[in-house]
Amino acid sequence: MLLWSLLDFPSQPAVRKIIHVDCDCFYAAIEMRDDPRLRGRPLAVGGDADKRGVVATCNYEARAFGVRSAMASAYARKLCPDLLIVPPRMAAYREASQAIQAIFTQFTQLIQPLSLDEAYLDVTASESCHGSATLMAREIRRLVQADQGITVSAGVAPNKFLAKIASDWNKPDGLKVILPEEVEEFVRRLPVERLHGVGRVTAARLKSLGVDVCAELLPWRKQDLAREFGSFGERLWQLARGIDDRPLVVESKRQSVSVENTYDQDLPDLQACLNALAPLLEKLAQRLGRLEGEYRVSKPFIKLKFHDFTQTTLEQAGAPVTPEGYRELCIQAFARGGRPVRLIGVGVRLDHAHSLLGEQLNLF
Amino acid sequence: MQFTIQREALLKPLQLVAGVVERRQTLPVLSNVLLVVDGNTLSLTGTDLEVELVGRIQLDEPAEAGEITVPARKLMDICKSLPDDVAITLKVEDNKAVIKAGRSRFTLATLPASDFPNVEEGPGSMTFQVNQNKLRRLIERTSFAMAQQDVRYYLNGMLLEINKGQLRAVATDGHRMAMCTLDADIDYQERYQLIVPRKGILELARLLGEADDMVSIVLGTHHIRATTGDFTFTSKLVDGKFPDYERVLPRGGDKIVLADRQVLRNAFSRTAILSNEKYRGIRLMLSDSLLKIQANNPEQEEAEEDIAVDYNGSALEIGFNVSYLLDVMNVLSNEQVKMILSDANSSALVQESETDDSVYVVMPMRL
Repeated sequence: MLLWSLLDFPSQPAVRKIIHVDCDCFYAAIEMRDDPRLRGRPLAVGGDADKRGVVATCNYEARAFGVRSAMASAYARKLCPDLLIVPPRMAAYREASQAIQAIFTQFTQLIQPLSLDEAYLDVTASESCHGSATLMAREIRRLVQADQGITVSAGVAPNKFLAKIASDWNKPDGLKVILPEEVEEFVRRLPVERLHGVGRVTAARLKSLGVDVCAELLPWRKQDLAREFGSFGERLWQLARGIDDRPLVVESKRQSVSVENTYDQDLPDLQACLNALAPLLEKLAQRLGRLEGEYRVSKPFIKLKFHDFTQTTLEQAGAPVTPEGYRELCIQAFARGGRPVRLIGVGVRLDHAHSLLGEQLNLF
Repeated sequence: MQFTIQREALLKPLQLVAGVVERRQTLPVLSNVLLVVDGNTLSLTGTDLEVELVGRIQLDEPAEAGEITVPARKLMDICKSLPDDVAITLKVEDNKAVIKAGRSRFTLATLPASDFPNVEEGPGSMTFQVNQNKLRRLIERTSFAMAQQDVRYYLNGMLLEINKGQLRAVATDGHRMAMCTLDADIDYQERYQLIVPRKGILELARLLGEADDMVSIVLGTHHIRATTGDFTFTSKLVDGKFPDYERVLPRGGDKIVLADRQVLRNAFSRTAILSNEKYRGIRLMLSDSLLKIQANNPEQEEAEEDIAVDYNGSALEIGFNVSYLLDVMNVLSNEQVKMILSDANSSALVQESETDDSVYVVMPMRL
């Protein structure tokens, strides 16, 4: 072959092998592991129903009654009167998560944790299990079960988007593999609401355009999707073809720090909300003080959830990160609802000043 | 309420007062300027609840006493758009401000003066006078180093310190620090520190003139007030603990570089063009009598410049954010600048070679 043809047509990069690992009802699984009496009965981890708590996660027995994560505990109790709600033990969950992460490192260093209970692994270059991603996923599931006494589901695919869908396919305690040659057929039958980034609103718009599954997106040209959905249109075009080039973000940076509180009694008016800011800001300051690495605040934000569960978030670049700044944001946010408030959150969006192109040293 | 005034007499104080007023306000009255006619004095007040500025103008023509608030920005834009030598009459009729000038007529919405907030002051614990020109120089030489949006909110302002008859200003954003000291006739021997918020400092600097007139300063527990002939400026203070700036001043740097400030500034400006737009890193390579400045960017473009300097220490390569160095070069005024360095990971001390009332500390970058 001529030299110029080699230069002009570089060989296609090898197909990637991505595993998405997701612990099954993680917090609840740890609770059932540590207290066998909790097994076999509807269980949720979260806040007290009497104090307006929220379900963080629940086991499959509770899910059978319609209980879901992020549901108000009081409502979950209505759906399932026998539901046992236990408070979260974050230290125990963190410990288990670290042990699971350590298992991942036996297979690859390219790990992108998404939370305590799920992560992406790029095993393209891994030589474990003769380089078979399927065998690695099986082995990871076996090791987690043996080491931590909980089950995990895994998805294996050529990219992150498909691996995440695959891990959910055979939950709980399941494994789904999508081989490169199966991608096209698999995606064709995929309902559009399963696409990464397609929420209720976008799904409804797609349905109104006669698009229920990805196959119905294929005739659409990229520019037409861009006209309909803006910058997300191009992403839709790619996802409908099973294309997702996003690399794993191995060293992820914190995007924000926040603190929120749900109040036992609704805060009736603006003044009550303003009075509630001080303890929240104190907690926020403590969290910011614990931040490692070099972060800069890009803007403060506030979140209010009104008594009817509608919520608003207001952030403002240039607003001062001071009690006065948050007071101003609170006044503006409250004006959007003008109703009693059940939850207030305060936080900051962060920028990070580290870069391969130079790290600025600090004076103090 | 009614008064008549020449455009020029109204415009300058109005521009200063309107500078304090924020455009985007939650309380509508904070977008307004308070106008008060008392005898033959018109006073204009603007505030954002943190900073307040009151300007006073002597009226030449008889006026009708009263008070009202009108939109600051609109009033200023109207005045700016009118011809130079026109007389402006403002009269309040039916809760509207009617402005007449020549053949122009404007009607502005108003809000009652009773809605206009006061910046709470409290008693003053110290009063002194200082030359306006010197105070302005003190601020201009240091304010660039204040942080803008730092979590450590006490850095989003300037430390003013009174100690042994001297007034010192210190500003830092955690990466660089600026400090300037002036001898002031302040009869106070203890150390007294306060932090003025960023906006307060910048507005105070705008207010201070070039002349040698005095400005009277009152320091309170929670506020600072500055009064010149025609203006009274009040700002709340930042409640926080400023870092121990003396601990940050580098000691024992053994590499002393003397260079022509303009030559250095121009070289920094040129090499900055090809530094990374976001991180602005440049390399300084020191050897006998030579400073090589180098910059490159992700597009693999490169700039390099050699400058003759007075230096005879050991070789050193050190990285800096070029913007930080340029900020210092831009506020210095002497022909020669002195840089004291020790190693690639330690801060640099920059000052004018003849005077030492201004000191600048810049932390390097790892490149």
